[in-house]
Amino acid sequence: MRINGSYDMKTSTTALFAAAIALVPLGAAAQDSDDPIVIPIHNWSSQIVMSNVVGQIFESMGNSVEYVTTDSQAVYESVRLGDVTLELEVWEGAFGASFRAAMEKGGIVDVGDHDAVTREDWWYPMWTKEACPGLPSWEALNDCAALFATAETGDKGRYLDGPVDWLKHGQERVEALGMDFVVVNAGSAAALWAEIGAAEADKRPVVVFNWTPNFAEAVWPGEFVEFPEWVDGCDKDPAVGPNPDALYDCGNPAKGYLKKAAWDGMAEKWPAAYAVLEKISFTNPQIAEMAKLVDVDEMEPEEAAEVWLEENQDVWSGWLN
Amino acid sequence: MAANPPVIAARNVWKIFGKAPEAYLRSLPAGRSFDEIRADGYIAGVRDVSITVGRGEMLVIMGLSGSGKSTLVRCFSRLHDITGGTIEVDGTDIGSLSERALIDLRRSKMGMVFQSFGLLPHRTVLDNVAFPLEMRGQDRHARRERALEVIRLVGLEGREDYFPRELSGGQQQRVGIARSLAIEPDIWFLDEPFSALDPLIRREMQNEFLRLQKMLHKTIVFITHDFDEALRLADRIAIMKDGAIEQCATPDQIVLNPATEYVRKFTEDIDKARVVHAGTLADPALRAEGAAVDADASVHDLARLLIQDQRSTIPVERAGRPVGAIRRDEALGILVGAR
Amino acid sequence: MAHLPAQTTQTARRRGALALTGAAGALMLLHYAGLLPAALHRLPPERVPDLAVWLDALFNFVKDDLGLLALTRWLTEPLQWMLDVTANLLFGKRRWPGIGPIPWTAIAAAATVLGYHLGGWKLAALAGGTFAWTALVGQWDIAMQTMSVLVIAAPAAFAIGLLLGIAAWKYAWIDRALKPILSVLQTLPFFTYLLPAVIFFKVGPTAGAVATTIYAIPPMILMTTLGLQKVSPEIVEAGQMSGCTRLQLLRHVYLPAARTEILVGINQVIMLCLAMVVLTAFIGMPGLGAKLLAMMGSFKLGRSFEIGVTIVLLAVTLDRMSKAWVARQPMHHERGTPFWRRHFALLAGLGLFVLFCIVAQFVDLAAEIGRRQSLSMGKEIDTAIKAFLNIGWVKATTGFLRAFLNVQVLIPFRNCLLWIPTPAFILLIAAFAWWLGGRRQAVIAGLFFALVALSGWWDRSVITLYSVISAVALAMLIGLPVAVLAARSARWSNRVLLICDTAQTFPSFVYLIPAIMLFGITDIAVIFSILIFAMVPLVRYTIEGLRTVPPEVMEAADMSGATRWQKLVKVQLPLALPTMAVGFNQAIMFAFFMVIIAAFIGTQDLGQELQRTLAGTDLGKNFVLGICVSLMALTFDLTILNWAAARKRQLGLG
Repeated sequence: MRINGSYDMKTSTTALFAAAIALVPLGAAAQDSDDPIVIPIHNWSSQIVMSNVVGQIFESMGNSVEYVTTDSQAVYESVRLGDVTLELEVWEGAFGASFRAAMEKGGIVDVGDHDAVTREDWWYPMWTKEACPGLPSWEALNDCAALFATAETGDKGRYLDGPVDWLKHGQERVEALGMDFVVVNAGSAAALWAEIGAAEADKRPVVVFNWTPNFAEAVWPGEFVEFPEWVDGCDKDPAVGPNPDALYDCGNPAKGYLKKAAWDGMAEKWPAAYAVLEKISFTNPQIAEMAKLVDVDEMEPEEAAEVWLEENQDVWSGWLN
Repeated sequence: MAANPPVIAARNVWKIFGKAPEAYLRSLPAGRSFDEIRADGYIAGVRDVSITVGRGEMLVIMGLSGSGKSTLVRCFSRLHDITGGTIEVDGTDIGSLSERALIDLRRSKMGMVFQSFGLLPHRTVLDNVAFPLEMRGQDRHARRERALEVIRLVGLEGREDYFPRELSGGQQQRVGIARSLAIEPDIWFLDEPFSALDPLIRREMQNEFLRLQKMLHKTIVFITHDFDEALRLADRIAIMKDGAIEQCATPDQIVLNPATEYVRKFTEDIDKARVVHAGTLADPALRAEGAAVDADASVHDLARLLIQDQRSTIPVERAGRPVGAIRRDEALGILVGAR
Repeated sequence: MAHLPAQTTQTARRRGALALTGAAGALMLLHYAGLLPAALHRLPPERVPDLAVWLDALFNFVKDDLGLLALTRWLTEPLQWMLDVTANLLFGKRRWPGIGPIPWTAIAAAATVLGYHLGGWKLAALAGGTFAWTALVGQWDIAMQTMSVLVIAAPAAFAIGLLLGIAAWKYAWIDRALKPILSVLQTLPFFTYLLPAVIFFKVGPTAGAVATTIYAIPPMILMTTLGLQKVSPEIVEAGQMSGCTRLQLLRHVYLPAARTEILVGINQVIMLCLAMVVLTAFIGMPGLGAKLLAMMGSFKLGRSFEIGVTIVLLAVTLDRMSKAWVARQPMHHERGTPFWRRHFALLAGLGLFVLFCIVAQFVDLAAEIGRRQSLSMGKEIDTAIKAFLNIGWVKATTGFLRAFLNVQVLIPFRNCLLWIPTPAFILLIAAFAWWLGGRRQAVIAGLFFALVALSGWWDRSVITLYSVISAVALAMLIGLPVAVLAARSARWSNRVLLICDTAQTFPSFVYLIPAIMLFGITDIAVIFSILIFAMVPLVRYTIEGLRTVPPEVMEAADMSGATRWQKLVKVQLPLALPTMAVGFNQAIMFAFFMVIIAAFIGTQDLGQELQRTLAGTDLGKNFVLGICVSLMALTFDLTILNWAAARKRQLGLG
């Protein structure tokens, strides 16, 4: 084993490779197939880097890996067909529905959760707080509703919700809590960023849908609005929550899952890789770090993955045992 | 001429354009005119044409645009399939030929020159001329040799590597002529070859053409709408109108005895003295004394003699043998345009 | 002679259109008075047939029972193999033959020489500059990933299009069968292709290549057929008299003589392939598009802008090179020209290529420009864009537009359209078709829109149509004056056309972000992004129409003492109108295309629902929505093109 102090990229990958070979348990069950493991890549940086990190781990185990860029919703159909082998970020909020529908059709398996939790809810960038100091309480937000008015919404404030297909029930919440807000759906994550970006210039107050972990935290510091805390059944039983007659009268669960999913043939075709996949689990800070390497430090994803693996050997080496 | 079997023999040829021409032709009552057929929704390109072309003869088909002359020549080469009648080439009914046999016939016996030249724009002069040879699968070396030979023949040496676009109209048509001669065809079709050219160039090309024909002795079907050109070149002229042949005869006869009013109109402004030859005017039954004139001399050529000579009849001989005599006043009448 | 019947058909048409409009008006009056039964205002939901389920079943039947999936998957294998080869050569994917990647300097040098060969120093500079820019800005790898798919997709589209074009020219029934299929393919929204492409051809470069190919085929078919039809009969007869067999005739006579049109077809294929670079990233196309989406996902405007510029540069380079190839006439060499002079470009290109391949072995920079050496200005552009959007008058203008146009015009217009009862709406559309195209067109239009009503997505369809109509109307308001002014001089025409080219090839996704930053997530942002796209054909065809008015006609107008304005109104516009109609039609088609993409901004139309079906769990619904878009687009397409063709015949221009 050759470990030296040089941080030259090529040497360190070699070292990584050597380390990995040494760590792979001898006599691991069946042999993995020679066919490439196909990892899908979507359009946000943490997922791209995470995919590269896992891909490089698989490669260090002797597997061949290929990346394919695809739409984050359409990918579940490809996983079912086995064209794509796995999916590393299944967000409860954004993709839970697609994932469950694919599970029902068959061909895809749940490979467990990351340690990371996800939160998706109303959010505002920090400058908003200057105009509306009572934040993050939702009542305070409602009192400043006029601050968020646009030409189209009249006196009411505008809340920019996520795309309809994410099923965030913003409209229902506004009605259940009697808020002076009009809900407008953005068509994509990029549309949300554009709105925040446009507001940033003159520090206009905005309240938009957002989630964590993602890159926006690093670019625009901000906070989630504190709604009445989530109670199980808030979406099914009107009696639950502050408004006895309405559903969705609480905030979203602050701890949504972040899952891994795989094609149901993976366990058989690449048993060793599958065993590792089952163990893989990232935390919120780790995911944020991956995103930062690309979004802030402007590295290319593969490079960022190499750096991350180099710096976090203790995290991933455990998964190989 | 009659002793030799004709090279091309067309009998009762019809070419009708329209929806169901064969069925229409079967039901067609005799003597239906061009306009009546058109009223039925059909166009009669060729109407009941019977004509022969002898070996080594130059037949000029003359007519205005839309008269069916181009259609007829395309029937001879079976670029058009005819609707009724038969066309024989060297005794073979070309309508019965298989596609393969037809292609072989064209590859070995026929050449054709087109009004707008029909050159392939992406090929050089050499490759255009060699095209028919290439099609019949001759090897590169042989076809190059032959192509250069015909290019020299039409006076284009040095231009072998030019593209058609880089040539003048007259030069382009020389390429067309060279191409049509490349396979040494027996039968040569020329579809208004000089119509697209300037008058001066046209004249030059006609001379060039006559020079070639003198060397090659092809059987020629030549299409033109220019009566002067027809008179200049033809052994026989067939005048077409509305798909049918109005008259088919030698230039002298057409000028002297137009068969219909339509033909006569063409001959009106013609200087007949330049067209009519002593041989045609000569009465074989007549004998005369004194110095003879050549049968191939035109009345115009004999003008001085006709005016000065006092004989009322003048003997005519062809190649030293007497063929009869002309009446002087008749010839003078032609000369001064009284007839 | 033809004047009289034309006059009478026109009155008949006007009468028919008026009758339908009257009926629609009556229905609206009833509705206004509150007398119209609800079932006549909108089709009651319980009456909506379950088209989605049927289509889903049909799709599954074709896919599994007829074995289409097995066939396409079998075809995917060789395609994958070819893509792997190009991937290895261009960006070094670890696949056979394992010799790539070719150094960027070698490719750039070869492209420069090719540019010189085709169009002299100017084109050489453009080609070399484009490739150098791509490398220097740090996008070489992703650009080559894109090219690795395009170099397979474009030739495939060319070959298939050529064969189909020949078949359609040869056999009338193939032509008749192909035409409607092509029309539907051209109007079907992209989101409807996406899932079938993934299912049949496996997510990744294969699906990307197939989607690109299918998208690029239609103009190739069209141009091939057109070219073959235009071959002069004399050339064909010359070929026949030269003893050509049928195959020889096609190979040596027809195809070379149709060269110009076929090359124009190739040019179109290339442009359409590049137009698909970003959209196909949704189904696994690697490279520039995927990177662009990732950059937009993390709000890196500058970097996405740079990728957009690369795509435009590549498109313009390939466009100019292929056009130069079209215009290029063969030139002979003087006898005795040595071999190296005859093939100077080929030898120079090869020589430089080999030279740089060797140099790259020793000089790293010649082989690859890494991130650190790249000259990307992403951050600076970010700042510049944000600064621009923050300028006082820019904000004032957009604020005014937002307050006035959106609140006073667009939203009331949308509500008005939504208020109209379904049957009245269908009658109005039919009246429009009757007016332009006669009774047959009216029946078709009515039928198509009735189908849309049956689909159960009426309101969303109306909102889609509303965006299209508003955008095209605005595009005309802005585009027509620009085009008329530009058409007055050749120089300005060329400048404006260059802007058109750029706007058309610049990936539409890049517009979306500035559109939102300018106007927020509102209808204006949606319409603004459609507008840019829809204005291009309007301007292009108007300029072409005006500039191709025969000069003798213009001279005659001058000699009649017409003023400039009179000439424009009385002479140029009437003669240019059929051509302009084609541009208008294309503007509508582009708008239908773009309105679906605008779902990424945030809309409430069919696009939004289509986006929702992308998870693939509801294919039937996806098809129903796609067909709704296609039916609406086809109605306009058929009506307007029909009118333009008839009008051209009337004017003797066609």
